[in-house]
Amino acid sequence: MEGAYQQSVLRSNLSVVWNEIVKNNKTLLAYPAILIFWAVFPIFWFIPFILQGEALVGGLQSANFAQITGSGEYIPFIVIGAVLNSYVNTLLYGMGENIRREAYQGTLDYVLAAPCNKAYVLIGKAISESVSSTIFAASQLTISVLLFGMNITLGVMLPVFFITVLLMLGLYGMSLMLAAFSLMYKQSYDLSQTIGYVFYIFAPVRYPTESLPGWAQIFGKLIPLTYALIIIRSFMLLGTDFSAVYTEVIALIIIDAILLLAGFYIFSWMEEKTKKSGTISHH
Amino acid sequence: MVTDKEEVFSIQTIDLTKRFAKKKHRGIFGFLRRNQANNKHNGVTVALDKLNLSIRPGELFGLLGPNGSGKTTTIKCLSTILIPDEGTAIVNGFDTQKETAMVRASLGMVVGGERTLYWKLTARDNLTYFASLYKMQRSHAKKRIEELLETLQLADRADERLEDYSTGMRQKVAIARALLHDPPILLLDEPTLGLDPGFARQIRNQIKELSEKQGKTVLLTTHYMDEADQLCDRVAFINNGKIVAVDTPNRLKARVKEKEVVEITVYSPPADIEQYIRFLLPDAEVVKLIPGDEDEGDASRIKIIGGTPEQHIGTIIDALRQKKIRIGNLNVGVPTLEDVFIKLTGTKLTEGKT
Repeated sequence: MEGAYQQSVLRSNLSVVWNEIVKNNKTLLAYPAILIFWAVFPIFWFIPFILQGEALVGGLQSANFAQITGSGEYIPFIVIGAVLNSYVNTLLYGMGENIRREAYQGTLDYVLAAPCNKAYVLIGKAISESVSSTIFAASQLTISVLLFGMNITLGVMLPVFFITVLLMLGLYGMSLMLAAFSLMYKQSYDLSQTIGYVFYIFAPVRYPTESLPGWAQIFGKLIPLTYALIIIRSFMLLGTDFSAVYTEVIALIIIDAILLLAGFYIFSWMEEKTKKSGTISHH
Repeated sequence: MVTDKEEVFSIQTIDLTKRFAKKKHRGIFGFLRRNQANNKHNGVTVALDKLNLSIRPGELFGLLGPNGSGKTTTIKCLSTILIPDEGTAIVNGFDTQKETAMVRASLGMVVGGERTLYWKLTARDNLTYFASLYKMQRSHAKKRIEELLETLQLADRADERLEDYSTGMRQKVAIARALLHDPPILLLDEPTLGLDPGFARQIRNQIKELSEKQGKTVLLTTHYMDEADQLCDRVAFINNGKIVAVDTPNRLKARVKEKEVVEITVYSPPADIEQYIRFLLPDAEVVKLIPGDEDEGDASRIKIIGGTPEQHIGTIIDALRQKKIRIGNLNVGVPTLEDVFIKLTGTKLTEGKT
């Protein structure tokens, strides 16, 4: 017991987060094929959208699109949608899958039997998933700048990053709920896929919110991705600042807080429940 | 530590009970049959049934029982991985349900063996990760990891991924992980299972040293009678979630008198051989056939315990010959812990629920 409790609480908690990130990324990089995926997939990803734009409006500019969104450029609109949506896919899928994998390989018992606060292990897992999402997003943005001449001013990147972090916080809350589901039912893939599709349809990923029927627009306002897309597109495509979108920023922060609190509560509740039922060690 | 009439214990369980619901799997359309079986549970398995254990500081304590007897459930309840339904478990003076962080810091465990590590990481990476979960200061953890890698003879290959290790080497990493934060209590669940004899010997020596030289309290579960006999200060037999007997190995073995045990090695015995011998020796307390895997060169054994079997050896041999059963070997006397377990429970240690 000599080694336990020898450093400040903050330092030991940060150490848990850091070592979780290091462990997950070292494990990920042990599979070199992931690097090929990161390098090639973002290029392939653009092709259907370009062809679709050509077929529908005869190019990548549309007057009708400009009327609704304020910007006629189709590709930058959907690049932003796709980049933020890739965070949804990775984070929702990643955490539940990570917990399931830990249970399968038998390491989950040891993580849960350690004296550290498990919330920091989960935060480490969430950040690890964000790292791969961010690499993927950066590749997509770089390609859209190099191949499609998308104009990105560096000054706008800091507020964009801030909003992306706010989006991730909300997604962490949801992924904690999915991880809790995975703890009990040993899989969350189908549920995370379903939620991902719900986001894809009701949030303005590939089309503006205005294209949705009224009731769907209201439903979309419960989704953090909706606000993140509206705010970031406003910054990047319309050149606005926070004063133009402050209500959306406040709404996003409120949804984040609710999702995070619910996520931690549900995970702790499910952990207790599985320890009582004995299903915690099953896989 | 917990005191009970002036006795001090490192681990104590009082009426510890754990039940698992057996779920009935009725398939996708099972809801249509709900009326036939209104209860979604198909009964309850009692894994621990008012289990009482008291283990003294520095003691090397063995918990022996067949599969499904409750050994691993006991360890999981003590390590806070499972929450018991009833009763109390106290570890190093802390209640496992109320002071979980202190219980966890007091324990090191080896449960589930080599599979419970990250195979894509090196031994050093694995230990560094777990040291952070035990809130160890970075510099202290680094020093401790080096020390353990050296002690367990893993230093040369510390930076290789575990996927390139042998089973025995991975088990050593699992032991190093349990010792990282230098806990006063170790829970070791089948630590030598599946290891080759050389590695198993090294691990046994290590366990002995941890108890004798470092004064650690060790709760060891094992299938191997010789291992428990050789290592443990005291042994408890567990069957169907209950403690059947607790004592030193020698005192337990004394419960079966010499010449009260006859063991006959046989090949391809018929299924009714137990009843047949029981008929021949009505005063025998236990007649048990322990099937072997003859394809692997492991013959079956017939154990006869109690009564006066040594006086009837001639009768038994004649009977076996009459049935054309080939006899490999015959031993009289020198009871083992397995004999005691069979005598007490009528069950051999290698059978049971899985």
